[in-house]
Amino acid sequence: MNRKTFVSSLVAASAAIPSLASDLHEEVDAIGIIPHYLKQGDTIGITSPAGYITEKEIQPAIQQIESWGLKVKIGSTIGKRDHTFGGTDAERIADFQQLIDDRTIKAILCARGGYGFVRIIDQLDFSAMKVHPKWMIGFSDITVLHSHLNRNYGIASIHSKMCNSFPDDWSKAEPIQVETILSIRDALTGINMKYTAPANEHNRTGMAKGTLVGGNLKTLESLAGSKSDLRTTNKILFVEDTGEYLYSIDRMFWNLKRSGKLDHLAGLIIGGFKIKPSEDPAEEFGKNLYEIVMEKISDCTYPVCFDFPVGHQKNNFALKCGVQHKLQVTTNGTTLTEV
Amino acid sequence: MKIPPYLQQGDIIGITCPAGYMPLEKAETCIHVLQQWGYEVLVGKTLGSKSKTYFSGTDEERLNEFQAMLDAPEVKAILCGRGGYGVGRIIDQLDFTAFKKNPKWIIGFSDITVFHAHINRNYKIATLHSSMASAFNGGGYKNKYVQSIKAAVEGIKADYSCKTHKLNHTGTATAELVGGNLALIAHLIGTKSDYQTKGKILFIEDVGEQHYNVDRMLHQLKRSGKLDALAGLIIGGFTDMQDTERPFGKKVYDLIHELISEYKYPVCFGFPVSHDKENLALKVGATYQLQITHEQVRLREK
Repeated sequence: MNRKTFVSSLVAASAAIPSLASDLHEEVDAIGIIPHYLKQGDTIGITSPAGYITEKEIQPAIQQIESWGLKVKIGSTIGKRDHTFGGTDAERIADFQQLIDDRTIKAILCARGGYGFVRIIDQLDFSAMKVHPKWMIGFSDITVLHSHLNRNYGIASIHSKMCNSFPDDWSKAEPIQVETILSIRDALTGINMKYTAPANEHNRTGMAKGTLVGGNLKTLESLAGSKSDLRTTNKILFVEDTGEYLYSIDRMFWNLKRSGKLDHLAGLIIGGFKIKPSEDPAEEFGKNLYEIVMEKISDCTYPVCFDFPVGHQKNNFALKCGVQHKLQVTTNGTTLTEV
Repeated sequence: MKIPPYLQQGDIIGITCPAGYMPLEKAETCIHVLQQWGYEVLVGKTLGSKSKTYFSGTDEERLNEFQAMLDAPEVKAILCGRGGYGVGRIIDQLDFTAFKKNPKWIIGFSDITVFHAHINRNYKIATLHSSMASAFNGGGYKNKYVQSIKAAVEGIKADYSCKTHKLNHTGTATAELVGGNLALIAHLIGTKSDYQTKGKILFIEDVGEQHYNVDRMLHQLKRSGKLDALAGLIIGGFTDMQDTERPFGKKVYDLIHELISEYKYPVCFGFPVSHDKENLALKVGATYQLQITHEQVRLREK
């Protein structure tokens, strides 16, 4: 437990309680619980809660993680396949549950995303996590988990690349691959995280402090109204997506806006957005990503940064969801620093 | 629930495009047929506009035209020329004050689901979920689906039936009908246009979606409590479905059936509400009786 962070956020939470007394969830997610950082010899469990992956495909990740002085436990879903899934719902639940409940496992790395976490989230029992929180790692479909943990338990988690992004041959990896994969190690071992993003003329400058939350935009939208729905007030929200049409991105930002998720942010971070081109060039959407985002938040004054290194891309650094960060957007560039 | 006045001969129907662009020629048959049915047609400028973008006009143009048709007392119904995408961009700027005082029929489907849900949730005024202008083309105006629009706006009570499906849950329910396009219903969750479904009959349809995405949207409906207290559920067409490179492994009706297997209310599959020709006019907000037996499915307006 990072005692200092825990105590300071408890103070913040109790100060906030009077106005939020009617809302237990808000009260809970204000308490940032930081799992123990990993030490040499600790064990990471690898599981496939969504799409399927073979044991061979996770070998580069295992080798790399072991080179960090950590041990790996391969979950029972690795190598399993039920159509697109890493095993049936029951198999994926059983594997994930086992890794939650096993106290010798200090972190759970999701092997890949795809689709499927939402099919099992309500059947998972997180009570062991409340007593002995551990790091949960992944992105894309794993946004379901990040959002669920933040909303319901206030437990921090790591949004990062997964096994399928570890380079096959580490010696031939590009510098950005090395840097982003090592950022997972840094995040897991308690190194204070700092990120930079280049200046972008569409950014809105400013400084913000708040809990970092976010993930895949489509996944966040699909959690609206559910008990995994993210609360964003006073937080720094990051979003990324891939393979979506501009109209669909527009519609998703409308959902965030119309459900009040953009009104009271501390700051907004826009990561990578791989846009699917319109099938009919005559039907161009007519607005780019910058316009889509900025028109939704023209009434707000918080800082906004584009091109942040998070997303379905090589430039995808490990981010700690549920942890306090400071966002500084200036005309020279952006920094995000763990507080 | 308020039911807007049914149309009389000589009443004016306004046609506007609050979302995607539509060339005028694609709506010409519709205009002509509406006139033959005895109505006057007010053609909005957004239909066949000079817009070069995806939309039929700028947000402001679409908003202003829809607002004008909402406010004009002589316009007794507003038929949306087509769907596409775009109602969500203007819904919060529309002023429904005059509409609340003098309700009129708002007609369309797909992206128009935003209107159905918003009006149902906020104003308790019935709207008409049905095919739009292009359905009249190629002789389509003669089929029973387009004809059902005529019957609906004239105030003839609907009495629909369709064939049974092996996945149906038999039973009878009498309740308010709500529904529309699944992607839009899911997208509106958490907003002030979000449908309340408790005690109601819900109908859903969709087009061109990935199987996994239908699964995800239904999980969203389920997890947000929209499926557990329904009076009944009508599954319309899920047409032109896509699959991923790694196949999802379940057919769309099977995945829906699996997801709702725990519920006891009547459910029917393959009801003619869809993006295909088979699209019967349904009054969102009106009371219907849904009767599902082993022999047939019947949906009767009360």
